[in-house]
Amino acid sequence: MATHERKTIDLEQGWEFMQKGITKLKNILEGKPEPQFSSEDYMMLYTTIYNMCTQKPPHDYSQQLYEKYRESFEEYITSMVLPSLREKHDEFMLRELVKRWSNHKVMVRWLSRFFHYLDRYFISRRSLPQLSEVGLSCFRDLVYQEIKGKVKSAVISLTYFLEQIDQEREGEQIDRALLKNVLDIFVEIGLTSMDYYENDFEDFLLKDTADYYSIKAQTWILEDSCPDYMLKAEECLKREKERVAHYLHSSSEQKLLEKVQHELLTQYASQLLEKEHSGCHALLRDDKVDDLSRMYRLFSRITRGLEPVSQIFKQHVTNEGTALVKQAEDAASNKKPEKKEIVGLQEQVFVRKIIELHDKYVAYVTDCFQGHTLFHKALKEAFEVFCNKGVSGSSSAELLATFCDNILKKGGSEKLSDEAIEDTLEKVVRLLAYISDKDLFAEFYRKKLARRLLFDKSANDEHERSILTKLKQQCGGQFTSKMEGMVTDLTVARDHQAKFEEFISTHSELNPGIALAVTVLTTGFWPSYKSFDINLPAEMVKCVEVFKEFYQTRTKHRKLTWIYSLGTCNINAKFEAKTIELIVTTYQAALLLLFNGVDRLSYSEIVTQLNLSDDDVVRLLHSLSCAKYKILSKEPNNRSISPNDVFEFNSKFTDKLRRLKIPLPPVDEKKKVVEDVDKDRRYAIDASIVRIMKSRKVLGHQQLVMECVEQLGRMFKPDFKAIKKRIEDLITRDYLERDKDNPNVYRYLA
Amino acid sequence: MHKLGRGSRDKVQQFMTITGASEKVALQALKASDWHLEGAFDFFYSQPQISLMNSRHLEDLYNRYKEPDVDMIMVEGVSQFCTDLQVDPQDIVMLVISWHMKAATMCEFTRQEFIGGLQSIGVDSIEKLREKLPSLRAEIKDDHKFREIYNFAFAWAREKGQKSLALETALGMWQLLFAERHWPLIDHWCQFLQVRHNKAISRDTWSQLLEFVKTIDPQLSNYDEEGAWPYLIDEFVEYLTENGFVQLRK
Repeated sequence: MATHERKTIDLEQGWEFMQKGITKLKNILEGKPEPQFSSEDYMMLYTTIYNMCTQKPPHDYSQQLYEKYRESFEEYITSMVLPSLREKHDEFMLRELVKRWSNHKVMVRWLSRFFHYLDRYFISRRSLPQLSEVGLSCFRDLVYQEIKGKVKSAVISLTYFLEQIDQEREGEQIDRALLKNVLDIFVEIGLTSMDYYENDFEDFLLKDTADYYSIKAQTWILEDSCPDYMLKAEECLKREKERVAHYLHSSSEQKLLEKVQHELLTQYASQLLEKEHSGCHALLRDDKVDDLSRMYRLFSRITRGLEPVSQIFKQHVTNEGTALVKQAEDAASNKKPEKKEIVGLQEQVFVRKIIELHDKYVAYVTDCFQGHTLFHKALKEAFEVFCNKGVSGSSSAELLATFCDNILKKGGSEKLSDEAIEDTLEKVVRLLAYISDKDLFAEFYRKKLARRLLFDKSANDEHERSILTKLKQQCGGQFTSKMEGMVTDLTVARDHQAKFEEFISTHSELNPGIALAVTVLTTGFWPSYKSFDINLPAEMVKCVEVFKEFYQTRTKHRKLTWIYSLGTCNINAKFEAKTIELIVTTYQAALLLLFNGVDRLSYSEIVTQLNLSDDDVVRLLHSLSCAKYKILSKEPNNRSISPNDVFEFNSKFTDKLRRLKIPLPPVDEKKKVVEDVDKDRRYAIDASIVRIMKSRKVLGHQQLVMECVEQLGRMFKPDFKAIKKRIEDLITRDYLERDKDNPNVYRYLA
Repeated sequence: MHKLGRGSRDKVQQFMTITGASEKVALQALKASDWHLEGAFDFFYSQPQISLMNSRHLEDLYNRYKEPDVDMIMVEGVSQFCTDLQVDPQDIVMLVISWHMKAATMCEFTRQEFIGGLQSIGVDSIEKLREKLPSLRAEIKDDHKFREIYNFAFAWAREKGQKSLALETALGMWQLLFAERHWPLIDHWCQFLQVRHNKAISRDTWSQLLEFVKTIDPQLSNYDEEGAWPYLIDEFVEYLTENGFVQLRK
């Protein structure tokens, strides 16, 4: 073909040629026998358009062709597509629609290829809609609008469509592929926008879904138990999610699930949780772990859904714990008349049970409730309620300290393997976190630790150190520094003892003739002990002197205070039958040694010679004359000590064993511990108030109290009254004054 | 006096020794003469009603009551003073007079307290003072003065060297003071202290009680337990409600 000279094609002539091609295309689409387009056919059609568009005006027919392009679609749709759709209904109509749509897309593809040259120049230069867009919009305006109109009047497609989905919800098989294809039309017709899908389909779907589940939920909530209801709800949510994956557009997932959640869960949340025999309470009571996990999964989906669950959880744990407290309380009051040790055992059991309870619900929080903070908080608050209650006059701080003592001391009531001990200690320390009076625990613990260390009752040094490490991690270094000091003191003391023995062997003239072991303690670390001026027997005085001498060689400017009440003595008692080694306290020994000089002593003679308080002497005499081993015989021979009694060495005494330990029941130190802690708290509150006021200078009452509570909260929960008293005391001592104009405000006086 | 420089202080001291006038008068005279001593004397003696009234008569009066061997009026002198005034030593007017005298301790007046006090009341004889008694008594009714007298009473009534006020004395003082002010809870308060507290009263509690009386109505409807009231007052409120004397509306 000669390019330079071309014959001008007029519109009619050219369009006639194009018509042939278009008719051929329509025939193909209608399934009529027609050979496929060859590339030559295509070339010819394209060239015709090219030529008609590139002729010099007035023979440039671009505009006309652009319109003819559109008209071709419109003509085809009105003459062929719409009639065929109109005569069909329901499923068949949808199938036809899908077919027509896919045909239409083919038609658009081919025609836009034929007319392609328009796209390249005419359309882009004039910023007109692209050919493919024109093609699609024809379908949209003519077909889609008509179908949609029918939808609105609830005759054809959508009603059928939604019915199909509801049927599937009821478990029937439906033609998912068909639904998916139809929905694709909604999406594709919008080109890039989802408006058609959302407005003309999704809105209806959501409304229908809400209605569907609202009706379902109304019956389920009445008929089903809470676990069954939750199972159904979870299944429904799963199905809806699958539904989206199968044939809905992925953007619908969130909206659809929210609708379902709203109808099934939000609407009935409290009704579901409170169900009498199967609600959250019952699930917790019956340990329905799986159902609780499901409950968590479901309720975590709805806003503020977990709060009521965590509240019920907290209530449940509180009740369980309180029941344990009550149980222990009852047990303690029932056992009162019997031996005291059994009561101790009860308390031991109580702490065990609390630990078990904690283990159980910690597992709930991590497993069922996936460690959600709300549930951690609920657990903490619940434990704080009953862990601070105490049992029959013993605070929980004391119970915990006793529990630790029982585990750590030799011959405690629990026989445990090393790992089990480690594990238990770990758990006790974790419980301590819930106890507000941590200082009280520390004081009791220190008392018990002192006994373990000084009377060589500690079973294992490593466990001692390990619990201190755990305590340190949880409560800070200040909390354990004294206890660590105590343990260290004892290690140092062992070293010291070796040196002392060496000293004795090199200075044989000083040897007191008695094996002596002294433990030097650092004052601040240990509980405060009263030191009495007991009149020691001469033998012991000599020992004390020797040690003093030794101690002076090692240190200067250090004052030794002797606490004889904590000492132990092994003495040989020569009874008629045989000699028995008695293991007694220093006080007991001093008393017994009095009988080396005389046979009989009256109560008052003993008191004067020993220079001890009546309380102590009564206790000592009771242990030696009224208890299991009667080393002294008493006149009159009864079971209590009175000031008119007379005592005599019981030379007839004998026993199977060669060594006897004569126990001296320890004085009940509970009251003193509580008093000590109270005093320490006063100092702590004072210090805290002064610290705060020093930095703030002027502060309102409530704010001061708040800050004070916050500062001290790690150790104990100061009571408002105590703080108030301390504030008033500081006012009296001129650390603070009230503001002249506002008595609710304090000023710091430098 | 502490606000003055040393030079000025010396002058005030000198002026007072020579004229026997009170510190207040001395300051007044010195200030008027721009701190020239000579001028101050002229000023002082040219105003006879202040000076003459004060110095001689008051000096005589003081000497009438003072202890023979100590330069001070003690219990004996005070009771003579009361007899001359024809008032009971327990009369509240004695507290008002003591307040005017800025007396540091009950039943004791120093020379300066006695003379200065009478000067500030503006009398120089027992008769004149007796005439003034009704108006002195009326000062109790004045809210502002009552507060000053109330707070003055604490230090005045307490034992020397003590920081707080013995309970017995405190109860007596309260009965005396509130007899004039009609606080309906006064008997409950005193009873409460004897039953529950039985310890000395701190200055803070003393002064806050007046605040309590003034601001909290007897039904306690505007009492705030979160407030900064001394714990004794909190406990008093508890006592009142526990015993059903007052129904606390929550």
